Amino acid sequence: MNILDDMGGVTESFGAAVSCLSTSHLTDEVIRRSKRMILDTLGVGLLGTSTPVFNTVLQSSQRQQALENSQVWGRPGLSVPPQYAAFVNGVAVHSMDFDDTWHPATHPSGAVLPALLALAETMPAKPSGLELLLAFNVGIEVQGRLLRFSKEAHNIPRRFHPPAVVGVMGSAAASAKLLGLPAAQSIAALAIACSSAGAPMANAATQTKPLHMGNAARGGLEASQLALLGLEGNTQILDLESGFGAFYPDYVPRPLAEVTPTSQYRWVLEDQDIAQKRFPAHLGMHWVADAAIEARAKFLDKYPNANLSQIKKITLRVPSSRYVDCPFPVSEHQARHSFQFNCCTALLDGQVTVESFSKSQMNRSALKEMLLKVELENPQDNHSSFEKMYCEIAVETTQGEMFTARCNTFYGHWRKPLSHEDLVKKFRANASTVLTADVMEGIIYTVDRLDTNQDCSMLWSYMHFNKHMMHSDEHRISALA
Amino acid sequence: MYVHTIQLRHSNITVCIQRSTRYLSAFSATRGLHKSALDVAERPAPEETVTSSFGRFIQSVQPRHLSPTVLQRSKRMILDSIGVGLLGSTTEVFELALQHCQHMYASDDISFVYGRQGVKLSPTLAAFVNGVAAHSMDFDDTWHPATHPSGAVLPALLAISDMLHKNSKPSGLDFLTAFNVGIEIQGRLMRFSNEAHNIPKRFHPPSVVGTLGSAAACARLLSLDRNQCSNALAIAASLAGAPMANAATQSKPLHIGNASRLGLEAALLASRGLEASPLVLDAVPGVAGFSAFYEDYAPQPIGSPEKDEHSFLLERQDIAFKRFPAHLGMHWIADAAAVVHKNLVGLRGGSISPNLVQDILLRVPLSKYINRPFPETEHQARHSFQFNACTALLDGEVTVQSFHPEALQRPELHALLSRVRLEHPHDNPANFNIMYGEVEVTLVSGDVLQGRCDTFYGHWRNPLSQESLQKKFRNNSGTVLSNERVERLIEAVEGLDHLDDCKPLLAQLQ
Repeated sequence: MNILDDMGGVTESFGAAVSCLSTSHLTDEVIRRSKRMILDTLGVGLLGTSTPVFNTVLQSSQRQQALENSQVWGRPGLSVPPQYAAFVNGVAVHSMDFDDTWHPATHPSGAVLPALLALAETMPAKPSGLELLLAFNVGIEVQGRLLRFSKEAHNIPRRFHPPAVVGVMGSAAASAKLLGLPAAQSIAALAIACSSAGAPMANAATQTKPLHMGNAARGGLEASQLALLGLEGNTQILDLESGFGAFYPDYVPRPLAEVTPTSQYRWVLEDQDIAQKRFPAHLGMHWVADAAIEARAKFLDKYPNANLSQIKKITLRVPSSRYVDCPFPVSEHQARHSFQFNCCTALLDGQVTVESFSKSQMNRSALKEMLLKVELENPQDNHSSFEKMYCEIAVETTQGEMFTARCNTFYGHWRKPLSHEDLVKKFRANASTVLTADVMEGIIYTVDRLDTNQDCSMLWSYMHFNKHMMHSDEHRISALA
Repeated sequence: MYVHTIQLRHSNITVCIQRSTRYLSAFSATRGLHKSALDVAERPAPEETVTSSFGRFIQSVQPRHLSPTVLQRSKRMILDSIGVGLLGSTTEVFELALQHCQHMYASDDISFVYGRQGVKLSPTLAAFVNGVAAHSMDFDDTWHPATHPSGAVLPALLAISDMLHKNSKPSGLDFLTAFNVGIEIQGRLMRFSNEAHNIPKRFHPPSVVGTLGSAAACARLLSLDRNQCSNALAIAASLAGAPMANAATQSKPLHIGNASRLGLEAALLASRGLEASPLVLDAVPGVAGFSAFYEDYAPQPIGSPEKDEHSFLLERQDIAFKRFPAHLGMHWIADAAAVVHKNLVGLRGGSISPNLVQDILLRVPLSKYINRPFPETEHQARHSFQFNACTALLDGEVTVQSFHPEALQRPELHALLSRVRLEHPHDNPANFNIMYGEVEVTLVSGDVLQGRCDTFYGHWRNPLSQESLQKKFRNNSGTVLSNERVERLIEAVEGLDHLDDCKPLLAQLQ
C-alpha cells in the first residue's frame, strides 16, 4: 500500500484554492508579469494562424458547430464551438515554438489563454478584465504547483511533453475558475482533465507538437464543462500514484496552503518569472544563438571583412538532449529543434529570426556547408535543465585561430527578461503580419489596462481580424473601435 | 516516409531526415529525396522501422487474410459490443456525455447514437458517446493482455460508415477487415511490454492501445495510404493515456469514448496531411514515443501480409465476454460464490440469511482498485470483489439488476459485506490468464463451505456458447429496441461477411 493513499488532502486543497482564490489575492507583480504573458501569447498566436498546421486543424474542426460558438483567431467570420476554438487557437500559439517557457519546463500560457477567451465569449455575463486575469493566473499557478511534485519535471523532458501533462490541468483549473465552479466541481474538472493528459515526446519536433497545446486547452475546457454537467472523477486524483502520479516515476504531491478571503497568497509566478523567446525555436536554441552571436562579433571585430567560410570547425558545448540534436534538419520543425542549425544561422546572420526558418533560408548553401563543420560536446557540468544549462562555442579558423564565447543566460530568459519595449516590439512584429495597425494597438492598449477594464470582450473581437481577409462584420467593428 | 540512420565517414552522426529511400549519402540527405522515389521501390527497405511496418500492414492487409475462426470470433465481438452499447445508452453517464455533445452539432451530423432513434451527431462525437455507452457499465469484452478492445474500435467504424455516401458504404467484409485491423493493432501493441500482461496499475489500457486501435481501424476504412496510416498512429499516440485512478469512477467510460473519438480524429487529421513522428512505435533512447506509457518496452515490426502468411492474434487468443456488468475479476469470484450458494440452498433450503454466516474468506489476486469492502456507488460496486461475492452468495448469480440502487443498499447485503476478509495467495497473480477465485464461508454452526473457480463461463478458455451470447444480446438491446430490430441486428451481424454493403446493419441502429 502506498503511504500517500493515507495522507490525502492534496486534491482537496487544490479544489479549495481554485474556488477560493479571488482578485484580491493578485499582487501587482503577478498582474504585471501575467499581462506580459498574455500580450506575448496573443502575438505569437496571431502569427501562428498563418501556419499549415493551423489550417489543417481548422479544417478538421470546422465541421463542428454549437449553440454558442467562439471566434477563431485571424479568421474573420469563422466561429466554432468553444472547445474547438480553444483547440485551434492553442495550436496557433505553439505552432512555431515561439511561446513562453517556464521553470520547471513547460509552455504555460498557450494551454490556458485560448481556453479562457473561448469560454469567456460564450458566457452570458462576460468577465471583467480582472476576473480574466485571475482565472489566467489560477491556470498558471496550478501548472507551476504540479510541476514541483516531481524531480523529473526539473529537467528537459524525455517521456511526456509537459504542456500535455500539466497544461490540460491548468486549463481545467482556469476554466473552472472562470465558470465559478465550487470546490467539489473544480476537483471533478481536474480529475476529468487528468484522463486527457499526456502525450509522448516523440511527437515534439514534428508537425503534431502544436496539437499538444491545442488539446491541452481543449481538454481542460471540456473537463470543466463536463464537471458543470455533473460528471465526477476520482476525488483523490492528485494524491494518487495511479492518478496524476501516473505521469512521473517520482511523484510527491503536497497540499496547497489554505486560502481565506483575507489571507495573502504566494503565487509561483511571483517567485519564478517566465522566459519569452526572441525567435521561434526550442528554448535551448537561445543559449546557442547568443553564444554564437558573441563569437561572431569577436571574429568580425578582429577581421572586419572576414569571410565566414574561413571557419574550419565549430564546437558546441551543450547539454545532452537527443531531440534537439539534429545535424541536418530538413523540415522547419526539425530546424527549430536543432542546436546545429541555430548556431550556424546565428554565425552567418548575426541573429536568428522568424525568417531564418523559411525554406529559402534553410536551403542556403553557405548554411549547409557550415552545418558540416559543427560538432557537439556534452560536458558533464552542462545539465539538461533550463535553469542550469549554458552554451559554449569554440570557432576555429583555417588559420588556426580560436574564437570562443559562452552564454549562461540568454536575453529573454527569466533571469534576464525582455524589456517592455522589446516585448511590445516582438508583439508588433508578430501581430502586424495579420492585423492592421489600429487593431494591433487596440490589443496592446486593452491588455495594458486589463486589470482596470470592466469589459474586455474587445480582446477576442480584435483577435478575430485579418487584414488579408475581409468580412462584412469587420467594417462595422473597426468603425466602432 | 521513415528515418534512416547512417554513419558518415568522419564521425558518428545520426542523420534525421524526413524523406528518404533505402540508402543515402550525406549529400543526398541534405537534398531530401521526394516521396515518389519511395513509392517507386517495391522491395521493402533493409532497415524498416516498427512504425512503418504498422503503417504498411494497415494499408495492405486484405479480407482474404481473415480466417474462418477470426471471422467468427470478430462477429461475436461486434454483436456483443452493439448489445452492450444499446444497454449502456440507458445510463446516467451516457446521458451526460450526450448532452455535452448535443451542445455541438455539425452540418454533417449524420451518425447514429445508440438507443436514441433519430438523434444524430457528427461522426467524432457519435464515436465518443457510443464509446461511452459501450463501457458505461463495464459490460464490454476483455482480452489478454488486458484491454477492452471492441468498444474503442466499433463506434468509430460505425460512425464513419454513416458518414460515407449511401453509394459508397463499405461492404461487410471491408467493415470486418477494418474492425480486425483495429483489434490486431491493439493486440500487437500490448505484446511490446511485460507490464501489459498484468492487471494495469498506471494507465488504463483502453486509453493507451484503444486509441491507436481506433486510429488504425479508421485509417483502414478510409483507405489511407501507408504513410498516412503511420501518421494516424503517431498522432493518436499524442492523444493516448489516461491514469487508472479514474477507473471505478463515473469518468471511466469516457476513456473508451475518447479512445474511439480521438482515434478517428487522428485518422482524419492524417488524411488531411498532418504528419507526426515516424518513429513513434520504435524504441528511441532518450525520446519516448509510445514507449512513454510503459516501464519496459520492446517493439517488434509487424510482418507484411503480402509476403508472409498473416495470422491474426484473435486466431490464437480468443476474447472474454462478460455475463454481468462488472470488472472481469469479479466473474471468478461470482462463479465461486455461486457454488457456495447452491450448497447453502441445498443445505438449508430457500433464501440465505446472513445470520447463518460467521465469516467469508475470499482468496483473490492483489489489486487495489478492485478491493472495496463497502462500495458506495454502482461504479465502485462493479469493481469490488467483496460486493460481487456477497451478491452471488445471496442470489446465486450477479446480474444487471444487482447494481441498481435498491440492490446496492440491501441490509442483508451489508450484513454479509461486514463479514468478508481477503487473502492474496502467492499463486494467485493479478493476471487474467492465470488467476482464480476462491470463496470459503464459515457458518455459525461450524460448517465450512468452499467454492473455487479457475475459469469462469465466458472466459476465453470457456467461451459463451452462441445461444448464451445471443441471449445476452437480446436482453441488452431489448431494453431500447423493438424485437424486430433486435432480430434483424442478429441476422445482419451473423451474415456480415456476405453483405455487399453494410446498410442492413446500419439501418437497424438509426
